[in-house]
Amino acid sequence: MSELEIAVPRPRRWNEPFGEMAEADVDALLRIEPFRSIDANAFPPSLPLRGILLGDTRIGRYQAGDLIVREGDYGHSAFLVLAGTVRVVLERLDAKLLGREEPPRRSWRQAIAQLWSNAKLPEVRASAGANDPANDRVGTRDESGTARVFLQDVPRLLEKTGSVQLGVGEIFGELAALTRTPRTATVIADGRATLLEIRWQGLRDIMRRSPAIREHVEQLYRENSLRVHLRETPLLYDLPDNIIEQVALATEFESYGNFDWYSDFGPNHARDATEQIAAEPLIAEEGDRPTGLLLIRSGFARMSQRHGHGHRTLAYLGKGQVFGFSELIESHATGEGVPWRHSLRAVGYVDVLRIPTEVVRELIIPNCGLWIADCGLRMQDTQQSAIRNPKSEISASDARLLDFLADHRFLNGTQTMLINLDRCTRCDDCVRACAATHDNNPRFIRQGPKHDNLMVANACMHCVDPVCMIGCPTGAIARDANTGTVRINDRTCIGCSTCANSCPYEAIRMVEIREPGGAFLVDEATQQPILKATKCDFCAAQLTGPACQNACPHDALVRVDMANLTGLSQWLGRKAG
Amino acid sequence: MSFFTRRRIRNASLLVLALAGIVWWVRAREQTLDSSALGTGYLLLAAVFFLASYNVRKKLPFLPLGGSTAWLQWHIYVGIGTVGVFALHARTAWPSGWLEALLAVTFYLTVGSGLVGLYLTRTIPPQLARVSDEITYERIPAFRRQVRRQAEEVVLESVAASGATTLADFYTARLYGFFAGARGWRYLVRPTSALRRALMREMQDVRRYLSEQEQIGCERLFTLVRRKDDLDFHDARQKVLKLWLFGHIGLTYALVLLAVLHGLLAHAFHGGVA
Repeated sequence: MSELEIAVPRPRRWNEPFGEMAEADVDALLRIEPFRSIDANAFPPSLPLRGILLGDTRIGRYQAGDLIVREGDYGHSAFLVLAGTVRVVLERLDAKLLGREEPPRRSWRQAIAQLWSNAKLPEVRASAGANDPANDRVGTRDESGTARVFLQDVPRLLEKTGSVQLGVGEIFGELAALTRTPRTATVIADGRATLLEIRWQGLRDIMRRSPAIREHVEQLYRENSLRVHLRETPLLYDLPDNIIEQVALATEFESYGNFDWYSDFGPNHARDATEQIAAEPLIAEEGDRPTGLLLIRSGFARMSQRHGHGHRTLAYLGKGQVFGFSELIESHATGEGVPWRHSLRAVGYVDVLRIPTEVVRELIIPNCGLWIADCGLRMQDTQQSAIRNPKSEISASDARLLDFLADHRFLNGTQTMLINLDRCTRCDDCVRACAATHDNNPRFIRQGPKHDNLMVANACMHCVDPVCMIGCPTGAIARDANTGTVRINDRTCIGCSTCANSCPYEAIRMVEIREPGGAFLVDEATQQPILKATKCDFCAAQLTGPACQNACPHDALVRVDMANLTGLSQWLGRKAG
Repeated sequence: MSFFTRRRIRNASLLVLALAGIVWWVRAREQTLDSSALGTGYLLLAAVFFLASYNVRKKLPFLPLGGSTAWLQWHIYVGIGTVGVFALHARTAWPSGWLEALLAVTFYLTVGSGLVGLYLTRTIPPQLARVSDEITYERIPAFRRQVRRQAEEVVLESVAASGATTLADFYTARLYGFFAGARGWRYLVRPTSALRRALMREMQDVRRYLSEQEQIGCERLFTLVRRKDDLDFHDARQKVLKLWLFGHIGLTYALVLLAVLHGLLAHAFHGGVA
């Protein structure tokens, strides 16, 4: 072995366990349901049930009023009640209680006052936050190194909202964990409670090898979400309820890619484009016989076609979009097998619903009836809302742009900041406007990856899949339910950097804060600086909307929803003039 | 037809219509043997204040005063329109009094600098976009120092590795000055790749005298010369964009002051019936 090589153990899945589980804890778990009924022999030696419980779970002890999950949080784990009870709040709680108070929109007077009230020094705060004196109904405490937020006077709180009690052996949070969707309800500890928290990887592996648990979770999904999702698919709008019911029963769930895709993606993990496409899990391969109609449930998939020795991106599909319908229609019309014309690959992580070919032939196509052409058109419209017409030849420049957007996973953005470098005079009016509207602190950097004369700036894109929200211990970073903007509540941010480390686009920056006199605030215990996460808030509190876009004199900067590639295409098209 | 062409045609048509309306009004006044000077003067003064207010708008991004793009379009077309109003107001290209002459010169310079700026802001960005990296203006001096340090390290390493000084001698003679700092004012006015090409040619010529180790260093110097030239280009072009605006705003302040003074004097010495 040369001196330039050092032998180290290969990193393995459980090198960084989810929690600090002891062998005795695992023994205890294996004696109770549902783990007692799981056949440990169904697990391969490389992935034993015991290992999953040791590495992918942790036990949390909660006190009365502790918030276990908040409605709207991005979950990556499910919970099993081991002792005590918890309460699922049936109605939406006051945003302030959840640490998500919307910043009030400034009045004209307050807006003008920014002229003289903005701090002269960077990152000045009146207080370090976290324990917000303005909100005496919420507190925080430290539980074995984990920050916990608790509500006070829970009974009075629940008087108005109503709740459901869950007891020992019951599971909650599994759908949000598996489908990467926001938590649909807030759960509070009802007295002292002990919960087993299992991260999604472990839950997925147990589901794969334990039919009972898989059926239980899938049944929950079928009951709660699947029909709604099918109804939201344009292709299935007009199907009668009984047909939707049958389609729902036959639908298969599939997941591709890595749920934690952001952990090995970003500027530090740059790959050759060909390598990157090859590494993306294949969902459907060009030339294969269609096995069903594919509906994207969450995440993104790259639709590509063979081109020379590589693959050319034609489009990317997001939630609600379908793949393979035209082949099935053609096959139905001609009576001949038509192979998939394109390949579909998972970009990051994708949840797919597969409606088997027979079901499409027997239930969907006949019920489209005379509107079959309309169905085809609708599908085309759906895809065109995000892509060019996949049937037509796309230009080489479009293909390169799509490759760029997919390779960098910018398709995740709903408010991506694009700068046309052919028009940008580098005047920095956008940066100055951002600073002026954020207490003299710019919240983005006018730098970023370039494609020809298009630059994607390092500004929060307010992602469809906001991985930054995963793991925030206080729920300080959250998506605004009304606007979809991902915001950080400065008062409840504890500066743990989880969000900044998770963001693959480098859009969140940790800053050291100062008091109004200019002195840096430091932790009295460790003397380390107190940090806060900062990023673009899309000027939520301003009267003007995004100051950056408004401040650009040259039509060079725009915030774009990447799901609307038609809009992007129009904006790009006009730069030619 | 692109969005921008359509917008140009629409705004130019509106400008022509507005100017035609003003000319019609001036002629109507003159047909009644009335003076239009006061009216066109006030119109001109209002236009100058409006044009100057764009800079104020930029300082108030937190107020819903309309997008900067719309303001710039108004600024451009009202600015061009003031030339027509000025002609109607002054009736001569070169007024006789010294204050009026000074005011006219300031006006011409302000309009001229605006048109130059319009040209620069439309032509320089594509030139900058063609250079491989996007470079922040404020960071250019730091990047320059970095490139210079790297170049010196390359030369020192090649001397240490080869024991020869051919590359070092060439560096001292030809490249030291190039890496030392910013380019001169000539490059600022008209940046060309002539020096870069010349240096590349000379480096190519000197390669035949270099040892194998020095040739490796020479290759790295090629890259650094390109990088330095890109930095200089960004520096020069971005500096022009900033200097232009600095000059235009300075002239605008002077124009506002002189225009107000001219207005006050015009009223003070207006004469007529008390």
